[in-house]
Amino acid sequence: MRQSYKIAIIFLIVMGFFPLFSNSAWLAVGTTFLIYAIVAFSQDIILGRAGAFQMGHALFFGLGAYTTAILNVHYGVPIIYTFIPAIIIPLFIGIALAGPIIHLKGDYLLVATIGFNIIFIQVIQNDIFGLTGGPNGIFGIDVVRIFGVEFMSQRAIYYMSFTLLALTLLIMRNLDGSKYGRAMFYINKDDIAAQSMGINVRYYKLYAFALGSAIAGAAGSMFAIQYSAVSPEAFNVIQSIMFFTIVLVGGSASLPGVLIGTFVMFVLPEIFREFQTARYLVFGLAMILTMILRPRGVWPVKFGNIPNYLKKKDTK
Amino acid sequence: MKRTFLKLATSIVACSALVASLNAADVIKIGVQAPITGKYANEGQSIDNGVRLIVDQYNAKGGVLGKKLEVVSCDDEGVAQKAAICARKLVNAGVLAVIGSYTSGATEAAQPTYYRNGVLQTSDGTSDSLTKHKYWTFFRNSFPNSAEAEFTANYFVNVKHYKKIAVLSDYSSYATGLADATVKALKKVNGNVIYRGKIKSGTQNFTAVLTKIKSLNPDVIYFSGYYNDGGLLRAQQIQLGIKADFVGGDSNDNPDFMKLAGDSAKGTYLINVPTPDILPYDLAKKFLKDYKAKYGMMPASIWTLLNIDGLRAVLHGVEQTKSTDTKKISNFLHTLKGFPGITGPVNFRSDGERIGGGYMAYEVQADNSYKIVYK
Amino acid sequence: MDIFLQQLINGLTVGSLYALVALGYTMVYGVMKLINFAHGDLVALSAFAGLTIYVEIFGEGKNSILLVLGVFVITALIISLVGVLLERLAYRPLRTAPRLSAVVSALGASLVIQNSIMLIWGPNMKIFPSNLFPSTVWNLSGVVFTFTQVMIMGISAILMVALYIFINKTKMGTAIRATAIDQDAAKLMGINVNKVIMTIFIIGSALGAVAGLFIGINYRGITFDMGWTYGLNAFVAAIMGGIGNIPGAMLGGILLGLFNAMISGYISSEWAETFTFVLLVVILIFRPTGILGETIAEKV
Repeated sequence: MRQSYKIAIIFLIVMGFFPLFSNSAWLAVGTTFLIYAIVAFSQDIILGRAGAFQMGHALFFGLGAYTTAILNVHYGVPIIYTFIPAIIIPLFIGIALAGPIIHLKGDYLLVATIGFNIIFIQVIQNDIFGLTGGPNGIFGIDVVRIFGVEFMSQRAIYYMSFTLLALTLLIMRNLDGSKYGRAMFYINKDDIAAQSMGINVRYYKLYAFALGSAIAGAAGSMFAIQYSAVSPEAFNVIQSIMFFTIVLVGGSASLPGVLIGTFVMFVLPEIFREFQTARYLVFGLAMILTMILRPRGVWPVKFGNIPNYLKKKDTK
Repeated sequence: MKRTFLKLATSIVACSALVASLNAADVIKIGVQAPITGKYANEGQSIDNGVRLIVDQYNAKGGVLGKKLEVVSCDDEGVAQKAAICARKLVNAGVLAVIGSYTSGATEAAQPTYYRNGVLQTSDGTSDSLTKHKYWTFFRNSFPNSAEAEFTANYFVNVKHYKKIAVLSDYSSYATGLADATVKALKKVNGNVIYRGKIKSGTQNFTAVLTKIKSLNPDVIYFSGYYNDGGLLRAQQIQLGIKADFVGGDSNDNPDFMKLAGDSAKGTYLINVPTPDILPYDLAKKFLKDYKAKYGMMPASIWTLLNIDGLRAVLHGVEQTKSTDTKKISNFLHTLKGFPGITGPVNFRSDGERIGGGYMAYEVQADNSYKIVYK
Repeated sequence: MDIFLQQLINGLTVGSLYALVALGYTMVYGVMKLINFAHGDLVALSAFAGLTIYVEIFGEGKNSILLVLGVFVITALIISLVGVLLERLAYRPLRTAPRLSAVVSALGASLVIQNSIMLIWGPNMKIFPSNLFPSTVWNLSGVVFTFTQVMIMGISAILMVALYIFINKTKMGTAIRATAIDQDAAKLMGINVNKVIMTIFIIGSALGAVAGLFIGINYRGITFDMGWTYGLNAFVAAIMGGIGNIPGAMLGGILLGLFNAMISGYISSEWAETFTFVLLVVILIFRPTGILGETIAEKV
């Protein structure tokens, strides 16, 4: 665990100084990386740590983004005040949605979360209550204003996202060392054994959902600020699959793994523009190969020295 | 391990900064934001091709104000979210103006970003909402939905004397806007609208909605959405035996409409500004000839030509004001009158609206050509 | 009344297509407990491959029963081959790996197939010629049947009956059912599990190929990413009927098609998909094993 903290600190330092070396175009790429990394980490809490097969996570990302968009564009709420609702609303909806399905067996939970994601997309595409702007979404989102000072430069948005990511990493570090983190770890390994030891599996899984959803909502708010527009395509099942894949291919509960995964999925395509058309093909192949060669991910997490013969193969 | 990671990180960052700084001044960058892939790919590719053709022609004559023109394209896939992302990208790339996009939705999503950063934008989007903010950076190079709605209403009631009109759109702001404007215009001339519904673009199977329409027995079905749905709607309408006329709004004007409708394309009506081949202007004929010579095919539709006129107007503005200050160019363009365009004289109004017009109604013939039936 | 009948025809047509595709999902899930996310993309692939075969080999414009049959058979063979390759390359190495790895591999395979289609045929929509099937339309007191719709319903029904007989009355069919119940026990009984898996992939892919061609012929416009939507809907159908249950998939497909048509026709088309997935979630919460599925106790 310690190694990943060191990596986290190095990462934060590098990203902190990044804006000093780069122009607006690269800052935009960097901001995108930061925002998506936050969502990936929030997905990691639910999938990588608590082991719940959540494949509809973009829904909460979208809830946060749309909350900011709707409050700002339709009700004139200054962006800075929309952060709180953008965190609270996904949190409550996360609990509400996860509640009835959390007891489902792996694959069924997966399909249910896909179902919720699709319902969300359909609802916002149908311009419910005239608020969500239909398939074109909402645009003209304002900039962040604090005491009259506008923070609309790419650099400002970058640093806001950076702060949010740093907070997320801090939360995850605290989670690891707390009883919630330990409970999630045991639940992930074998939830029936955990239950028989007295751990309230349902409570901790819901907790993971709530936390993951809240963080994703915050990232969604940043997304809305960065692009001044939100629309359904950014939060559909394909995006959920991206986050799901990042966690599993990068390495569940692995900080460097998730960062690498986010970088490969969202940043590399920007850098290697020539491969844009073939990029999903390459991803697909990479996904298959990674799972075959390194089923625990590219940079799996290490937990002490367990002798190989004691490591049980998952048969679920 | 730590040290190598740090070294790697700093070197990547340093290299990219170097590369970025090498793309220095002395070019004027023109952005293209278009649906190069996706549902409207053939329109988007055509727009991109057209812009590059014009830029090549200008560069062959020495560029503009002594600087070469460079095209930066961004594919918005015809969706609003990608459009917003493209807007950020193009602004960060330092373009002077953007030609984009084909759909009103993608145009509108990108508008605020261009406006906030003083980048000029011209689009063929016809949604009335595009000029409602009166952004000084925006110039519409086509004509708004409200103009088309008036023409359609007049044609339906006073010329074709339809007694029962079914109006169908999709969920995009453009198509909904056009359909709503048409319904409003129809009501003004006492047209009888018996149905107003929406289909989901891209779902391909419209039999359920059409069956509902069939039960109402309309004389005409008016569809304000895009060609890739319109063609299928027409085919399925004929399959279901609905004996109404089918009239498509301007976005149905695309060769793929005929392909999708197949044998049912014959007898469809389309309402749009003139098609490229019947434009009477020499500039148009030359453009079509040059386009065919370079790309081996004709541009997808009139929408490409409209966007080209937007580009030409902007470049004209740069030359006339002798500056790359977008505010100055904008002020100049707002007073532009009678600039010869390939789609007719280009005149802009103070809110960025293009003045002029001239819609026509066409009937699709057996060989997929158009016959003008009303203008 | 005839609107209801018309919507019924619409629903049965779409439902038959869903059923054909759902069978592929359910057979693979039943035996391997794996959601084959790439299945929908095989369906899309068959539409594109079929179009190319028709245009290049047979020449556009000609049509005859033999020719159409030829297109179907050749396409089905090709897609079956791709299906077997898919299993061999993406799933077999992960038979003993954790569940989630196979899911990721399946998603990866889906991306690979989808984007291969895009790279080979281009990103634009391709359009099927309208003359593969005669355009005859029958009108029965206001209710319209097209030749294509009748073909879809008819051929799907025949194929489903054939599959049912195969699964229940042949030796291989019994082997498949045995492997679905317990793979290890089946091995102990002398069943060649690899052969069983290859068979289900061949059958599932072939059925999917037929569906893909019908989709192309009926709806005319095909895009490289259409597999995803069809796949998801068919998957919902499979779950509704009881995942792993073959008659369940057939029933689920038809029911879903009907449900879809009724909602589109009577309530509104914009909410049809929403209702479908709400129905899915409701079923998952209250009866996850589906209409025809049996609840099997989980051994800890």
